[in-house]
Amino acid sequence: MSERNRLRSLGTLVQLNGLIPIRTQPLYLINLVASPLSFLFFIWIVSRGADLAYGIVGGMVLTMLSVGTGLQSDLTHYRHDLKFQDVVVASPVEAPVYVAGLAVSELVYSLPALAVFAVLFVYYGFATATSAAVLTGAMLLVWSFATAFAFTLSTYFQDVRETWMFSPIFSLVLTVLPPVYYPISYLPGWAQTAARFSPTTYAAELVQGAVGLQPLSFSSATIDWVVLVAFTAALFVIAAFKARWKDP
Amino acid sequence: MALAIQTEHLRKVYPGSTSANAALEDLTLSVPSGRVFGVIGRNGAGKTTFVRIAATQLALTSGSAQVLGHDVATEERAIRARIACVPQESRPLYFLNVEEVVYLYLKLRGTDPVEARSRTRDALDQLSLTEFRRRSVARLSGGLRRRVLCAMVLASDAEILFLDEPTTGLDPIARREVWEAIRRAIREHRTILLTTHYLDEAEALSTRLALFERGVLVLEGSPEDLRSRVRYPYRVTIQGAYPREELDSFGRVTPIEGGYLVFARDAESRELARLALERGLRVSLGPVSLEDIFLDVVGKSIEEETPHPEVEA
Repeated sequence: MSERNRLRSLGTLVQLNGLIPIRTQPLYLINLVASPLSFLFFIWIVSRGADLAYGIVGGMVLTMLSVGTGLQSDLTHYRHDLKFQDVVVASPVEAPVYVAGLAVSELVYSLPALAVFAVLFVYYGFATATSAAVLTGAMLLVWSFATAFAFTLSTYFQDVRETWMFSPIFSLVLTVLPPVYYPISYLPGWAQTAARFSPTTYAAELVQGAVGLQPLSFSSATIDWVVLVAFTAALFVIAAFKARWKDP
Repeated sequence: MALAIQTEHLRKVYPGSTSANAALEDLTLSVPSGRVFGVIGRNGAGKTTFVRIAATQLALTSGSAQVLGHDVATEERAIRARIACVPQESRPLYFLNVEEVVYLYLKLRGTDPVEARSRTRDALDQLSLTEFRRRSVARLSGGLRRRVLCAMVLASDAEILFLDEPTTGLDPIARREVWEAIRRAIREHRTILLTTHYLDEAEALSTRLALFERGVLVLEGSPEDLRSRVRYPYRVTIQGAYPREELDSFGRVTPIEGGYLVFARDAESRELARLALERGLRVSLGPVSLEDIFLDVVGKSIEEETPHPEVEA
């Protein structure tokens, strides 16, 4: 398949799994805005506005992670219920194009939430060139590892119901335990250690440091980037070798 | 003759299954190109396993399989560029409309949008789907959804089309429209691997047929070949009273409503028909149908009289 055709396939998947479903059912958008904004509201109430900044940057990270959750469900549904993955396997479309296309299409659903958070980000004065660059980089990596993780897992599930069972575990490991909505120092020692096994922790530290919520030295930031990139790369390698594009 | 698919000693054991329960066992088969090759067999006979291995969706356990000269285990990319598949029990994405299913599938394969539009129109026309083109898949009957999937792959430029029970749930008219579209694909020199439970469909469309039973290829050839290889290639239906003990000498006798069905060889079947007519009975004589062969070979004849295949070596 030529590069041009790969791009065409990718664009078609975005249209097919993102734009058209939203056209036919706009409530999808509200669904994905509701969850991170609910968290933001909760934090605003509990902290009486003091931790609103954590809620804003945490909400952006959470929105990117929700791409992974949505992708995992869609991939499993398409694979088992509709046999759409089998249709795609027996075609010129390669696995990375299929997964990337669906992952971008999930981003389309997240755009309204991201837009709301971006407005708040600017409104509360967090937007500098550095913070925007760090936020964008960290979010892209979060989106990437969530995609690789979701694809690999989806190929092992036998039914879409298994994704419902796994979603709370996914959330616990990637969004609840890591200090997305609060500084890591709030966690007890054992939880801080456990949080270090989640790549989201490093993304959260980078973002919180970039907007000035937490002090972050250059060396700590470097370590965070290296670990985050390494986690993402490792999940891509696992996806490349362990995900089941062709059934065993 | 050029071969589209070729397998040698192909074997498939699903993970977690025992070696004794192979889904495919020692399958050596050649599928000529530019024809419809029908695969028939009972549920669980191994038809879909064979299709999925050839369509590069499923790994084989041992042996080899080549599609268009490429190895399915190592050269999937070269194969996938030239095939299309309607999997068994597949459904189109329910939030698309009929036209979008076909058009977006073609674009997904990398087809130029202008050509994709034109191919979509043709395919919808061929399968009488034009009037439904703006209708959401969610609002279609099961049969129409199946037709949409057929239109989708027939619209592609794939050289081999894998159609795994494509007409399940279709009404007789819709089935014949799919048949016509398949015949047209053959006129375009494409190869179709068709699995079906409708034996009339297999017989009407296939140049060659393979009959699988419990993962083993038990018969393969043209429909005429298959008839010539069964012990009794003719069927005589007699309506009325005829002494059963006399019938037994002609072949295999099966009582039916109001008479007998006798499977016999050529000379015996003619002789029996003549005798029955002399007795003033209603008689019909003809070659065995594919269904007769199927039921005979898989040991599930209507009367369950033949537990073992009656196939000459």
